[in-house]
Amino acid sequence: MRKSWIPWLLLAVAPLVLGGALLIGPTPVALLDPHTALGRAVLLLRLNRVGAGFAVGAALAGAGVVLQALLRNPLAEPYVLGVSSGAALGAALAIFFGLTTLGALVLPASAFTLGLATMALVYALGSHHGAPSLYGLLLSGVIVSAVASSLLMLLISLAPVEGLHSITWWMLGNLQSASGPLLAGCVALMAIAGGGVWLFARELDALTLGREMAHHLGARPGLVVGLGLAGATLLTAAAVALAGLIGFVGLVVPHVMRSLIGPAHRRLLPAAALAGGLLLVLCDALARTVAAPLEVPVGVVTALLGGPFFIVVLRRRRKAGWVE
Amino acid sequence: MTPALELHEVTAGYRRQDVLCGLSLTVAEGEWVALLGPNGAGKSTLFRVLTGLHPAAAGTLRLFGRDLRAIRPAERARLVAVVPQELATPMAFTVEELVTLGRLSVLSRWARPVAADRRIMERAMAYTDVLELRDRPYDELSGGEQQRVAIALALAQEPRLILLDEPTAHLDINHRLEILQLIERLNVERKLTVLLISHDLNLAAEFCGRLVLLDHGRIVADGPPAAVLREDLLREVYHCDLRVRPDAAGTPVVAPDRKPKSIPPGQTVRVHVICGGGSGLELLRHLRLAGHQVTCGVLNAGDSDARAAAALDAELALEEPFSPIGDAALDRARQLAAGASAVVLCDVPFGPGNVVNLTLAEEALARGARVLINSHQLDRRDFTPGREALPRLTSLFACGALPWLRLDEVLAQLAAGRPPSKSAG
Repeated sequence: MRKSWIPWLLLAVAPLVLGGALLIGPTPVALLDPHTALGRAVLLLRLNRVGAGFAVGAALAGAGVVLQALLRNPLAEPYVLGVSSGAALGAALAIFFGLTTLGALVLPASAFTLGLATMALVYALGSHHGAPSLYGLLLSGVIVSAVASSLLMLLISLAPVEGLHSITWWMLGNLQSASGPLLAGCVALMAIAGGGVWLFARELDALTLGREMAHHLGARPGLVVGLGLAGATLLTAAAVALAGLIGFVGLVVPHVMRSLIGPAHRRLLPAAALAGGLLLVLCDALARTVAAPLEVPVGVVTALLGGPFFIVVLRRRRKAGWVE
Repeated sequence: MTPALELHEVTAGYRRQDVLCGLSLTVAEGEWVALLGPNGAGKSTLFRVLTGLHPAAAGTLRLFGRDLRAIRPAERARLVAVVPQELATPMAFTVEELVTLGRLSVLSRWARPVAADRRIMERAMAYTDVLELRDRPYDELSGGEQQRVAIALALAQEPRLILLDEPTAHLDINHRLEILQLIERLNVERKLTVLLISHDLNLAAEFCGRLVLLDHGRIVADGPPAAVLREDLLREVYHCDLRVRPDAAGTPVVAPDRKPKSIPPGQTVRVHVICGGGSGLELLRHLRLAGHQVTCGVLNAGDSDARAAAALDAELALEEPFSPIGDAALDRARQLAAGASAVVLCDVPFGPGNVVNLTLAEEALARGARVLINSHQLDRRDFTPGREALPRLTSLFACGALPWLRLDEVLAQLAAGRPPSKSAG
């Protein structure tokens, strides 16, 4: 049964979740007083963090929705497909060679470049005669992801001590470091990519009927697949540039939302983005408090949450709005 | 009027071989044409070429007078719609969400469907009778319902030409008819030009005014069913034995010609069958399939049993239609029955016109041949004025004729060889 009120409920609880997340942290709530310099600083940090969390979660969920539709594959997700690892490698290379000082968008740009290359590689490896197969994509994703991660390790072992810490981050997934300009740049990229993909939402619907049928309906399948993959990769790259490797948000959220409100992408895409943003903000709040005063990387929290879910989805694909 | 479709010398294919070889075809607007042909004849490739999915290597292709290559995808979707063999999506879309996609080429990217679009969608759903299914998940529908949704989706495009690729391949006979009748209505009421790929030659002949038979990428026949469904032509194209016979309404009906099972010559017998009015149809067919040599009569010409016997190449003794059996016909039947080692009487009623057929059975029994008589409601089958048939049948049984009710009893009797010889009464 469709529950079309779910997006409105999410919209209603969003202020509560975001506001609540602002109040949680190692420093006491009283220090958030915007009239003191310290209070302003803490508030700004927390705003940045909550904003980054929401943007990254929304982007990953959106990317998951798009990839699952384009590849007609319920297990497609930036992390599983290796796009995240590729983007992280790109970001790490930028850090390693000290290119990040050139501008706020260098990090997402290099993440996007390598992410796109990874996507193309995985797609090519996982396809037979131009048609990607479900398990072919998963396998090639795992392989390419492993290679990208090894290269990341190589970079870490070669990096000088001060660079080491920031690169290690991409491996773990963390929302701590988002600076103002980087956050603004990445959010702008995400908005462009997400909005652009949303304009092709009906074409995504049509593509789930297969490329031939989409063609008969008047869509341009080649163009839509290309734009969609680029859009999903850009969303992922921006998310990785902001927060490193955060897995499974792009898998869990699209599935849950699709089963709740149906697969029509004009509705699903914004709803999944909203839910993904809120989920990651919640996960980050958990990451900050569960072992306080220490912090757990938020990527660890989402992986612990998403791993079991992945197995459930793999075993019971019929649920969660998938037919096959 | 410009034709809906004009192909001139179209050649298309895949890497190594041409699938369509210089194919020319013109379809007028409002026509319903069935594309027939064996697997690999090029039917599906022709569809792919027609929708621009596969480029033609040579030749020209015009849709409603316009060069296909010059038509933009969105425009093309408003001219041609395709109903695939099976519309499938891995996601649980509702019927209405799928039908909306028919308006894909028209709808604004920025807005929801406007009232005019929704009216078109609702009309498409009403026409195909899926309006009450609009909120149901597509994947939970039955095969027939799913195919109606696929047609609604095509109708929502408001096309002028609709291509159907074996739309009834996965359906049972009831839903096949339903879908074809729906297409017929579209063709007649909406003046939609229809091109249908079908492997069901008989349904195509039943519904389409024009059949186009393809083989090896070429058109080998094009015309009304009677001109295309010819035994010689079909045998050559499909590489198998088949028979074409007109049905009651004159439509050609194609059926595979089953070779009789090869029974060792010693075990086949010559059988004479006395039937009429359809009582012998099943028996005649099964006797032929078992490899027996069958003769039949006397029958009136035009009787359904007579037609069946002729189709099975059985030798026949015929009388004029609706006439009592005369001496000439009876003599002919005597000759046929004389060579038979068994005479089988079917569940046929006896009247003054055909009661002389009993003579054949009596003579056979006297000769020592086996006589098998269908014993179903014998007393109600005697319509002779003097009730003479029933006593004659009774005495036949008394003299060693065997009763039967089911086909397999007859076949078993014939296969059992000669019964223990019994002195003829």
